[in-house]
Order: sequence, then C-alpha cells, then structure tokens
Amino acid sequence: MKNRNQNDSLLTKKDIDKAAWSYIFFAQATQNFERMMGLAFCHVLEPVLKKLYGADSDEYKKALQRHMQFYNTEPQLGALIPGITIAMEEARAKGENISEELIVNTKNALMGPFAGIGDSMLIGTYSPILLSIAMSLCIHDGNPIGPLFFCAVWLTTVVGLQWFLFHKGYNMGIGAANLFFTNKGLVDKITTGLTMMGLIVIGGVAATTVKASVIFKYVNGDMTLSLQEQIFDKIMPGILPLLLTLAVWYMMDKKKWSATKIVLGIVVFAAVMVFLGIM
Amino acid sequence: MTFFQALLIGLFAYLGSKRTPWFFGVTGGWNMIGRPLVAGLIIGLILGDVPNGVIAGAMVQALFIGQITPGGAMPADVNWAAYIGIPLALAAGGTGEQAVALSVPLSMLGLGLFNFIMTINAYFPHMADKSAEKGDGAGIHRATYLAAVPSFILRAGSAMLICYLGTPVAEMLINSMPEIVLHFFEVAGKMLPAIGFAMLLKQSLAKQWMLVLFLLGWVMIGATSMSVTALAVFATAVAIVFVMAQGEARVPATAPVESVEEDDCYEE
Repeated sequence: MKNRNQNDSLLTKKDIDKAAWSYIFFAQATQNFERMMGLAFCHVLEPVLKKLYGADSDEYKKALQRHMQFYNTEPQLGALIPGITIAMEEARAKGENISEELIVNTKNALMGPFAGIGDSMLIGTYSPILLSIAMSLCIHDGNPIGPLFFCAVWLTTVVGLQWFLFHKGYNMGIGAANLFFTNKGLVDKITTGLTMMGLIVIGGVAATTVKASVIFKYVNGDMTLSLQEQIFDKIMPGILPLLLTLAVWYMMDKKKWSATKIVLGIVVFAAVMVFLGIM
Repeated sequence: MTFFQALLIGLFAYLGSKRTPWFFGVTGGWNMIGRPLVAGLIIGLILGDVPNGVIAGAMVQALFIGQITPGGAMPADVNWAAYIGIPLALAAGGTGEQAVALSVPLSMLGLGLFNFIMTINAYFPHMADKSAEKGDGAGIHRATYLAAVPSFILRAGSAMLICYLGTPVAEMLINSMPEIVLHFFEVAGKMLPAIGFAMLLKQSLAKQWMLVLFLLGWVMIGATSMSVTALAVFATAVAIVFVMAQGEARVPATAPVESVEEDDCYEE
C-alpha cells in the first residue's frame, strides 16, 4: 500500500532506516518518572526534523519542543507511532494542513492503546510462551539450548516486528492513524480478538507460575486429613493460587493498592502461614 | 568470586537493565539479557558452571514470567534478582533453591534502586529542554547519552560490589539459613508472581466479563497437561470464533457500504 508519491518525499529511505534503528536502540534509554520516553522520542526524531525544517528555523525548534513532552507506551509494538509521526512531520514540512496539535494529539491518542495491547501481547503472552518452551528445555539438566533458543527467537522476531511497524507507520502516515480512528468497528474487533487471546494465554501461564499449597494435615486419632490433597485438589487443582491471583487483582484494580503494598502483604501472609506450619 | 568475574557480572547487569540502549535497546537488553533465564547462562559462563547457572536461571525466571511495568510501576526488581541472586547462590555453592531464596528479598530491595534511577533521570529532559529551545540538536543527543550514566554507575556498580563483597555473607546465610527460612522464601517466591499477573489483568481487562477468559486459560492448563503453545493455538481459535460471530450477528444492522469498506481494510 502506497498512498504517497515517492518522488515528492523530502526524506530518503536511508533517513527512515536510520530513524528506525535509532528508535529500536534508544526508545527506552531515557525512561524517567517525569516524561517517561519523552526525551528519547525527540532524540530519535531530531535528525529527521533538522532535515525537514532546516537547522536554524523556528519550526525546527518548535518541533523539538513538541516531541520532548511526556510520552509513554509499550516501545516495541509502539514502533508504529514514531513512523506515523515522521510521516506527519514530513507532510507538515511540505505545507500540508497538519497542525502541531494534530501531531501531538495523534501521538497521545495512540500511545494508550498500544501500551495496553503491547504489554498484554508481547510481554504478557509472546515472551511467556517462548520462556515456557525455553525453560522446559533446560530446567532439569541445565542445557544452554534453553536460553539460546529464547534469545534467538525473541531477538529476531521482535526486532523484525519493530522494523516492520516503524516503516509501515511511515508509509501509511496519517492514513494509519485515520484507519485507527475512523474504522472504529474493525479496530475494536482486532483489539477485542487480541485481548481475548492474550487473556486466555496469560491465564494458562499464570497457572504454571503462581503456586500455593497447604501442607497442614489434620490429625485426629488415627485419622489423617490432608487439606491439600483431600480437599483443595478435589475441588480443583490449583484452586488456591487462582484465588490468590484473583484476590491480588481485586486489591490492585478495585481497592487501588500499590504493587509495593501487595508485595508486603504477600510476604507477611507467607511468613505467618509458614510460621504456623500451614503452608 | 574473583574481582574480574564480579566486574563482568556487573557489566551484564547493566546491559540487562531497563534503560540500556546498547544491544537492540529494550528488546535485547531488558527483555532478553535481563531475563533471569538468559542471566543464568551468562553467569554460568562467567563463573564456570553453565549447567547450574542455567538451572538457577530457569528457577528464578519462573518467579518473574509475564511481569509488566506499566507507567514504570514495578512489582519487583528482576535485575537484582537475576544478577545478584543467581551469582551469589552459585558462588556460595548453592543451586536453584538457594538462588530463589536470595532472589526474592533482593528483588524487593532492588526496587529502591529502580525508583531512585527513575527519579534522578528526570533531570535529563530538563537539560534537553534548553537545547530544544535553542534548536541545538546535538544537545538533545548529549542529554540522551548522559542519561545512560547514572544507570550504568548504579546498576553495574551495585551488582559488582554486592557480588564481590557479598559472597562470604551469602555463604554464611545459605549455610546457616534454617530450613524454615528457606521454606518461607520458597512459599513467598511462588506466591509473588500473582502480582505480575494481576497487573496484566488490570491492564488487559477491557470489559469485566473477560475475566472468564483468564479463568478458562487457567483451568485449561491447570486441569490438563496442555502446553502453553497448544493453549495459544486454542486461544487464537476462540478469539477468531468470537470476533467472526460478532461480525455476522451485526450484518443485518449495518449498511452494505460499510462492509465494502471493511473488506478494503482487510486487504491492506
């Protein structure tokens, strides 16, 4: 899909490739609590902005300032966004009717959804799938093939994905953003599908990871009752860690507990349970 | 552990930390070198015990699988868990269980360092703001490179020093650690991953009913011997069926023009 005439581009393919590499390497390099990825975004776009507007122009200074603002998303799936932004800056430099606000608003409108889908698909689903396969290859005998498998597959696919998305974003330009905002129905369908798929896999990975079992046995005369084996496992294997995970989610999402508070809660709970000989 | 070994571990600890650009950015650094599974191999190579390193790495990895950091909020510092917990356990003659026992408290202590770096690094955008006002592009790049310095000093420095000086302490801790304390870290360590998944749920649940999907995935793996990859295929099928069914149910209500537009989009 090409909705631009290559001949009237102000930027060469080399400029875009350079920006894509710069993004892949530096996207998260300046992360901080105040602007998150803000400074890095400006670092990636600077050479392009200089070429588009000229080093001493006011437009260049204004462009640098607008890309220094707060920006935060999942950087890997979010590689589409700087691609779109560069295309919009190029269109603006060519005199098309694209305001500063439109550029900033497009970035801000896209960063939220991409953070959500990126975290749940890449970090929540794809990485755990690869890690699970890798761990099953090495957890018993320490075979280095496990970590090597993970590195090879993760690095090539995710770097490739970012390269593809960055260029796709540039080639489609504002069209990509428009597609996103005008085809609400289609975007909702894709988002819903990806979210559903992610949630099922995340549930499965959680089941293999979170563990909690009761070692307490009730002894009365010559009758011994193992709570774990004879009660909890009969109801459903893994019911305790499931309830724990749901309880933690409830406290974080509904009661707004911070992660730190929950960590302390679990540690205290574990200490008490171990001390009493229950777990 | 020799000084040189500790130095190398410190260096890799930095390369696997959140803000490191040097190896394919966040993809090759934080999400790859920084994973305890990969750290286990690297540390095993440095300390000359690859099998035990990899096993310890895989066991520590199990605690931190699927952990996201939305808005920089982190439930546990994987970096200290991996690059201090694993080497200290190996150097003290321990294996996976000991690495887990050291990683759990270290991952909590490391959070302090994580938040400290996230806070002081807010200085660099202000430095770059002045360059942006003047249209000084080089100044922006300088600020970006300088932002790596505190991270490098604190990440590499802390891992190196604690690994180098901490070995005797770790040996003493591991050898004198009562059974019940070891057991406590195991119990707590296996419950803590619930936080990572709760954060993912909080982020991913677009609608409340979707919680049943999480339960479905859990039960599929918990009650059968299905692998995660098989579950991913199953999940994809469920998602496609849902989206298709939803689309068809809407057909009578939508104008034909709209469906033509949608076909165009699929082709792109």
